[in-house]
Amino acid sequence: MKFRHILAIACSALIVVGLSGCASSANKDAMVASDVQIAKKHDRSVSVRTGGGAETTAMDSSNIADADLKAAIEESIVKTKVFKSVIQGKDADYDLAVSIVGLEKPVFGLTFTVNMEATWVLIKQSDKSVVMKKHIKSSSTATFGDAAAAVTRLRLAVEGAAKRNIEQGLQELSALSL
Amino acid sequence: MKRVASLLMLFLFAISLTGCANRATAKVDPTADLKSMKTMHVVKIPNETAEIDRLIADDLRRRGYTVTTGTEKPTSVDAVVTYVDKWMWDITMYLLELTITIREPKTDFPLATGNSLHGSLTRKSPPEMVEEVMGNIFKEVK
Repeated sequence: MKFRHILAIACSALIVVGLSGCASSANKDAMVASDVQIAKKHDRSVSVRTGGGAETTAMDSSNIADADLKAAIEESIVKTKVFKSVIQGKDADYDLAVSIVGLEKPVFGLTFTVNMEATWVLIKQSDKSVVMKKHIKSSSTATFGDAAAAVTRLRLAVEGAAKRNIEQGLQELSALSL
Repeated sequence: MKRVASLLMLFLFAISLTGCANRATAKVDPTADLKSMKTMHVVKIPNETAEIDRLIADDLRRRGYTVTTGTEKPTSVDAVVTYVDKWMWDITMYLLELTITIREPKTDFPLATGNSLHGSLTRKSPPEMVEEVMGNIFKEVK
């Protein structure tokens, strides 16, 4: 086989990989909030529900899976101690429902900025009253310097936007008087 | 000839991987009462030429709402409707993804949201995309 043929097939293979990508879901650990200004730590338990996310398929770009967002929020709560404990199920003092409303991702570019919007609703379990109802917008940018591969760059931007959203959400929660 | 055939096969493989992505979701806040609403305003994205705002407004009118459109965000209506349209090129331009959100006018809180994504091979026209997203949102209304 001539060198030209090999080169042509290699280029085609690269195009295939470039087009199809190897999109990976946003990593749970990368979404855990680390820099949160906590106003108050609540001596109460909370359960977390998430929605609006999507699994990442081979034919899609990076998404945030509901289970990963839930795990990231729970770990962030434990880490920051905004609530005393996180409980699975319905026996917690408060129920936190976080739902992704929008995840705007670019298609092309060297710098990827991802915008995320999520609703944060906190319900008191004893009387089902809505204690907090906020929609939180966040964004994050990943540059070519962060990752040369576009699929990785996009995933980093998605994770960054989710992390900022969680940080803002926890700040709002910590400002409440429960 | 063999080389052309192998390149064509790879190209078709690439298209098959990227062209048939599909997603259609909708969610309505349990506290939202869309049925009792009468007036809505669709917030047009400035310089958006595909007239997605008009398509959304027409769909809402068919559902019995009184609808206005414009780039401003009035607070005197029962709900404002925002949208995000993402376009892609594959031989021709097509609407890859559409997200429509119905919001509380004073706080901007999302009351309902719907999202549809169709890759090149399953592409839909803008009116069909709007119909699908709005249909999915109102299917969730209790």
